[in-house]
Amino acid sequence: MSRSKLRHLGIDLPLLPTTSVGSFPKPDYLVKARADFNQGKIRAVDLEEAEKQAIEFWIGKQEELGVDVLVDGEMYRGDMVAYFADQLSGFEQGGLVRSYGNRYYHKPIIVGEVKWKGPITVKWWRYAQGLTSKPVKGIVTGAYTLMDWSFNEFYATRRHACLALAKEVRKEVEALIRAGCKVIQIDEPAISARPDELPLAIEAMQTTTQDFEAYFITHICYGDFASIYPGMLDLAVDNFDLEMSNSGLDMLRLFRKKAFTKDISYGVVDVHSHFVEERSTVEERLKKGLEILPRENVWVDPDCGLKTRTVDEAIAKLRMAVSVARIFREA
Amino acid sequence: MNDTSNVSSTAKLAPTMKLLTLNHGSYPRIGNSPEEQLLRRTIALRDRGEKSDAEVRVAEDHMVVLALQEQEDAGIDIITDGLVRWNDPISHLAGKLRGIRIDGLLRFFDTNFYFRQPVIEEKIARSRPLVVDEFRWAVERSHRPVKPVLTGPYTLTRLSLRQAGAGDIESVVMSFAEALGAEVAELGAAGARMIQIDEPALLSCPADRRLACAALKFVAAQKGRAELALALYFADAAPLYATLQDLAFDILILDFTYSSKLAQVIESEGGIKQLGLGLLDGRNTRLEDQTAVLHQLEAMLRQVKPGHAYLTTSCGLEYLPRDRARLKLRHLTSIKRAFLGEVG
Repeated sequence: MSRSKLRHLGIDLPLLPTTSVGSFPKPDYLVKARADFNQGKIRAVDLEEAEKQAIEFWIGKQEELGVDVLVDGEMYRGDMVAYFADQLSGFEQGGLVRSYGNRYYHKPIIVGEVKWKGPITVKWWRYAQGLTSKPVKGIVTGAYTLMDWSFNEFYATRRHACLALAKEVRKEVEALIRAGCKVIQIDEPAISARPDELPLAIEAMQTTTQDFEAYFITHICYGDFASIYPGMLDLAVDNFDLEMSNSGLDMLRLFRKKAFTKDISYGVVDVHSHFVEERSTVEERLKKGLEILPRENVWVDPDCGLKTRTVDEAIAKLRMAVSVARIFREA
Repeated sequence: MNDTSNVSSTAKLAPTMKLLTLNHGSYPRIGNSPEEQLLRRTIALRDRGEKSDAEVRVAEDHMVVLALQEQEDAGIDIITDGLVRWNDPISHLAGKLRGIRIDGLLRFFDTNFYFRQPVIEEKIARSRPLVVDEFRWAVERSHRPVKPVLTGPYTLTRLSLRQAGAGDIESVVMSFAEALGAEVAELGAAGARMIQIDEPALLSCPADRRLACAALKFVAAQKGRAELALALYFADAAPLYATLQDLAFDILILDFTYSSKLAQVIESEGGIKQLGLGLLDGRNTRLEDQTAVLHQLEAMLRQVKPGHAYLTTSCGLEYLPRDRARLKLRHLTSIKRAFLGEVG
């Protein structure tokens, strides 16, 4: 069903198309440029040049590896929530909170009515798409995750905050579509954490995507999938990008009990280990998936964004995912 | 927001009902100032080989002292060391037990905080103290009673992976209970007057209630003269409230942010336990309306056993930025004073 939608959109993909979730590691020169910018040592225009250079690098690298649907690597982002919160009105930057171990992030605070002020990612998508003839995904953080990963001092309830955000995220999606983007990923990693709020997440996704002519993917990771499956299939998207490998393919057990009815971007490499898995391991993961998922519906990618790996590790993991997909494609 | 004109009836409760404030457990180990970023900086340098483990410990010491001071300055009656030395509530304890190795990251309940998952490879055994040394260190530097905190046996089990040599879930839970029971006994001997056991998984997996309660009973038997508090959070405790009365704990610390029914259940059923009322949201920066909190306090405390009740946040404060955590603590004190009629 979704493949025909893709063709209708003018996108003809091979069997088992390959992609990646979104983020790639920032090259050293960009890390330095971001630090220099934060210390006032370089201008915004200089930072933007470094960001463009890094996007160019990753687009070229994905083409070289043979990836089918590309990403810009999110070279201009720090955190996936703070980046959007910074550019929507109604948010202020909160202080640091811990993510894990010695990692911290600035958690945004909703202090007023949230409003989309203008395109946030469109400029970057245009730039990346201009570098390749292959489709580039537009990627935005979804309303539920923006709400859940922010403090809320303005809206009476989580529901009010989430639905208000959904209306504004929709405007960004619309702007991407107007710019020509046809494959749009709505990142919703928080959805799997509170099963009782799945209906709210579904309502928010419906608000975000309904009636748009685009192929929608949602990325969900690191949560209790057993408690939201199969209900999550009601999310108004065509494709679920899921971290299959980190969870030891646990989700396949769920899919056996109740068929997975949409397209899936099937994570075949773990993004939290430094080593690149053996080819046989990755092949076995995909083989097990294809035993119960229709080939026509399966995309192949890493579990999650690769930004926490080194550049070399990220390339090696992506290369492995692509090469294993090719083996099965040609089999 | 701070209108206390409607609390005259509340103040009448004061002679029979003492209200104390307590810090739930964790406290931010980072803040905006360079001093408050000492620990992060030192760990980052240690990871690059430019600082030693001993220097990280000195930075931890410094951050514990800051946490103690900030709680005291906010007027909190019973404080903690902020769990500043903890990597997370699971691996900090499990990583010190034999038979366990620490593995990859997993989300901690429904938060955006991630813990390192223990893998239980063989029978668990406690060969050294878990938090007793941290407790003693904090007590020596505090002017208020310090409450040590432990994650409970059921939560540790639920958030661990069991390998073949680990045994079944019952034996793992009881092994954790044995280790924690020994820790509780040692904490009591070290002078802890109140010890808190955190069991958030008990609420999210009510089917294992009997198993969890058996393990908690074992832990509670080791408490000696210390008062034992059971902290439940990140889910609605209302369905379990009646059952919780049977547990051998002195204090129930409950999260009121997941259900409006919990307050109604307490109002209607009363209870024989002292209560720790987590009425202030430990996961949102918004400061609660003081009058509304006072009304909730009044309604609930009329129905429970006279004695001490505790006002606290719904969970540890590490989920908030430091400046907001500080405000929450001060808000606790302000509400307590209003409740006791100390507001002029």
